[in-house]
Amino acid sequence: MQTINNEDLVLTSEEIETDVLVIGGGTAGPMAAIKAKQQDPSLRVLLLEKANVKRSGAISMGMDGLNNAVIPGYATPEQYVKEITVANDGIVNQKTLFAYAENSYAMIEELDSWGVKFEKDENGDYAVKKVHHMGTYVLPMPEGHDIKKVLYRKLKQTRVNVTNRLVATRVLIADDGRVAGALAFDCRSGVYTVIRAKAVILCTGAASRLGLPASGYLFGTYENPTNAGDGYSMAYHAGAELSGIECFQINPLIKDYNGPACAYVTGPMGGYTANAQGERFIESDYWSGQMMQEFHQELAGGKGPVFLKVDHLAEETISNIETILHSNERPSRGRFHQGRGTDYRADMIEMHISEIGLCSGHSASGVWVNEHAETTVPGLYAAGDLACVPHNYMLGAFVYGRLAGESAASYCANNELAVVDTKQVEAERQRIFAPLARKHGLSPTQVEYKLRRLVNDYLQPPKVARRMEIGLVRFEEIRADLQQMVASNPHELMRAAEVGFILDCAEMAAKASLFRTESRWGLYHARQDYSERNDAEWAVHVQVQKDQSGDMSVFKRALEPYIVEPDDVEKAVYQQIRIQPKGAVVSSGVSHEL
Amino acid sequence: MELESILRSRLADPDPVVRRIALIELVDETDPDTAEPFLISALQDANKAVRIEAAQALEAQDTPEAISGLLKALEDTEPTVREVAAQSLSANKNPEVGALLLEWTVHTDSDVRVAIFRALRELRLTAATVPALKALVDQDARVRREAVGVLGWLKDVTTLSQLVNLAKTDPDTEVRRAAVGALGFAADDTVRIAVDSALFDVDWQVREEAATVAGKLGLDSLVASLIRALEDSYWQVRLKAARSLGRLKNNHAVPALCEVLQHPISNLRKEAALALGEIADPAALSYLEITIKDPDPDVRKAANLAVSRINLVRNK
Amino acid sequence: MSFSPIDFPVKVDLNACIADKGCTVCIDACPLDVLVIDPTTGKAGMKYDECWYCLPCEKDCPTQAIRVDIPYLLR
Repeated sequence: MQTINNEDLVLTSEEIETDVLVIGGGTAGPMAAIKAKQQDPSLRVLLLEKANVKRSGAISMGMDGLNNAVIPGYATPEQYVKEITVANDGIVNQKTLFAYAENSYAMIEELDSWGVKFEKDENGDYAVKKVHHMGTYVLPMPEGHDIKKVLYRKLKQTRVNVTNRLVATRVLIADDGRVAGALAFDCRSGVYTVIRAKAVILCTGAASRLGLPASGYLFGTYENPTNAGDGYSMAYHAGAELSGIECFQINPLIKDYNGPACAYVTGPMGGYTANAQGERFIESDYWSGQMMQEFHQELAGGKGPVFLKVDHLAEETISNIETILHSNERPSRGRFHQGRGTDYRADMIEMHISEIGLCSGHSASGVWVNEHAETTVPGLYAAGDLACVPHNYMLGAFVYGRLAGESAASYCANNELAVVDTKQVEAERQRIFAPLARKHGLSPTQVEYKLRRLVNDYLQPPKVARRMEIGLVRFEEIRADLQQMVASNPHELMRAAEVGFILDCAEMAAKASLFRTESRWGLYHARQDYSERNDAEWAVHVQVQKDQSGDMSVFKRALEPYIVEPDDVEKAVYQQIRIQPKGAVVSSGVSHEL
Repeated sequence: MELESILRSRLADPDPVVRRIALIELVDETDPDTAEPFLISALQDANKAVRIEAAQALEAQDTPEAISGLLKALEDTEPTVREVAAQSLSANKNPEVGALLLEWTVHTDSDVRVAIFRALRELRLTAATVPALKALVDQDARVRREAVGVLGWLKDVTTLSQLVNLAKTDPDTEVRRAAVGALGFAADDTVRIAVDSALFDVDWQVREEAATVAGKLGLDSLVASLIRALEDSYWQVRLKAARSLGRLKNNHAVPALCEVLQHPISNLRKEAALALGEIADPAALSYLEITIKDPDPDVRKAANLAVSRINLVRNK
Repeated sequence: MSFSPIDFPVKVDLNACIADKGCTVCIDACPLDVLVIDPTTGKAGMKYDECWYCLPCEKDCPTQAIRVDIPYLLR
């Protein structure tokens, strides 16, 4: 790395040609690549990864269970779609939810046949657990630590081409508006790479590094911090519509560790979230904005802090919980507790409200896709945490990865490579490599720190217009600072590029939140100046898109008519298990009737 | 090809560390079919770390050659190599190589027998039935437990009597628990009796499994025993009993479940309320009306839901 | 660690590490690309304090040479 001459780097470039380009090799990406190749083995399929496919993305250390498995005999697609419609306060495109629900079981079966381990009973039948009151959707994966290994093996068997350590920064768009490929650079060698492709599938995960964790550690995020919001930014600049960006992701996490306590692991075993008195207080049934609102109220109401409580369980159960939680998803949890001297047997585990992020897997903010994983740009697809299919989680990423891969393969059959616009290629080269050429300026780390601190100051709910407006002004100042950043090697160049992604996400988050002048989704979009939910005006999607003049436009998109509507009795049942209004208990003192 | 020749020479390097790294790279840089012969021969390497690496990398490689290589590795002098080989074999999903495993079910080393039955389970081979039945009297409880797994996954009714027998008589808790669980595919009389007596097993793990199986099989005649299990000394058993009574939807359980609504453990109150909703007998309404004011919100939700369900059924 | 006198989360046991013989497993595994070969020792080490404490480097290391501590700010 020491021998790289920065001036030379700016000039060298490589060109790769492929049919399908999948950007992001975490969960949805490998599935998309495999499915595109399986559908048409003659296609050239390239899986591009910023890290290394073997250990990248949200499930680098596996996953401890599915919480949205739609398995015949336990739940029906109709039931699932109704529940998510209610859970996401009605703002859903039910067609996309059905596409998930109807393909969910087949995906479990396929993953099982590849070697992913789900919990089964002594007859080899799936050991589905009832956690929510309505449907039964939880399928534990106590041995789920090897998913990436299984996916990697399948990629090899399917002969998908993989390239690691390439940071994609822009999608290439041809004159006719079609996708033409993508631009990237190698975060080790710094080589600029032009990838021509007929179809591009974005699977870049959540926007993890948006808010600043309370610990102040830039990389101490809930989602994998490699995911800086790259795909949100790339889709935006490609002209695609994004949706529900104002529906932030906020999670109840282990304080400071900032990782999940995995209530759906401990729940079936008898653990729960409790207040300082050890009492349960959460009324809502989902890991949702409603739940976060209640969490927020409990903290503000003087009954905090909030804890995960398992100390009442039997020794056998506790050690079982430890084995699962300390070997899957975020295995360093055990090490963290040990350092603090926390023992599940004797202590409750302190929890807190996380900083904000964007992630459709958990909430609803993402690139707008239809039931075929198509974005609004021809040839551009999206899947996983990045794609707006509410509450989709890991299994949804796999299902939409499959849909995206198959759709892209079909698209390739009818489309040739689009012409590359050399002006785009050169403009992006200048933009990306500028920090290497500068001799003096700002450190990308500091710009990122300041930007994310501003995100906390101005965007962390509850939201209010004036704060967000100030935030937007401050973000503009950061945009000017981007032109001052200095990088001394390709690694720092990657961090500099990521600040740009984060800034785009912050701006979209502020503008979408300002636009929706009502409150919805509990804490995710709690507006202090519009504290009521207003279905008359806001039963719509809020879309963000780059307009013809290059400005950020925000507009309404009507809801598609529901395919299934909960009948009156069902609605009544749902309503009864939802949060009861508790009056004015928000920290600001402003009443929230949600 | 150039890469392959470089790797080939490094795989023959006198330094075992270099050979091991070359193996890792081989798996990374080439496709599984190219890597396989190198991995199989590395199973014979003089260095144990290299052998472990090879055994690990052959996971789910399901050709007869790979399976044979891993089977031989089960007899490696090094325990870790044997463990890793067993683990890799258990990931195999190709029934066509199952015949290779069957010969090993009577191996003298009980660790090997455990590994073989573990690997056979996924394959669901009819031909594994007889060896598994024989293994039900193995001296090693771990072998018996894995043999139960093979039979449970095969779901062959002709093996029920042996499984029933094991569920009652095996001295090992885990074997009895697994055997009761394995009965969960056929609701005949012998099974019903076996599950019933398992509800009164000396070990709570067996009782818990029995409570689950009773619900899975819809064993309506076990309602009385499940009601008794609501008073089990272990709340885990009570919880599963309540869950299964809900699945059985039998009115006789209503008074006992209503009593559980008073239990100090809130998870139990919640499960009882949910079960009462599933049974949907209006007789529970007056009790549930009280539970709607339970201090625990999860219990309140369950009670609310139960009341709605009961009203819904009543109005239909 | 020779990169920095500051205590970084990823600790490498230089006696156990085989990076000098060509191993790059931990360096490949790191999602944030914070590990590199230290040119002075030929061994792996943490160059950038950007750790997600996710553990693939530790789990995949063929010689168990790595131990990941929780970053100080979180401890």
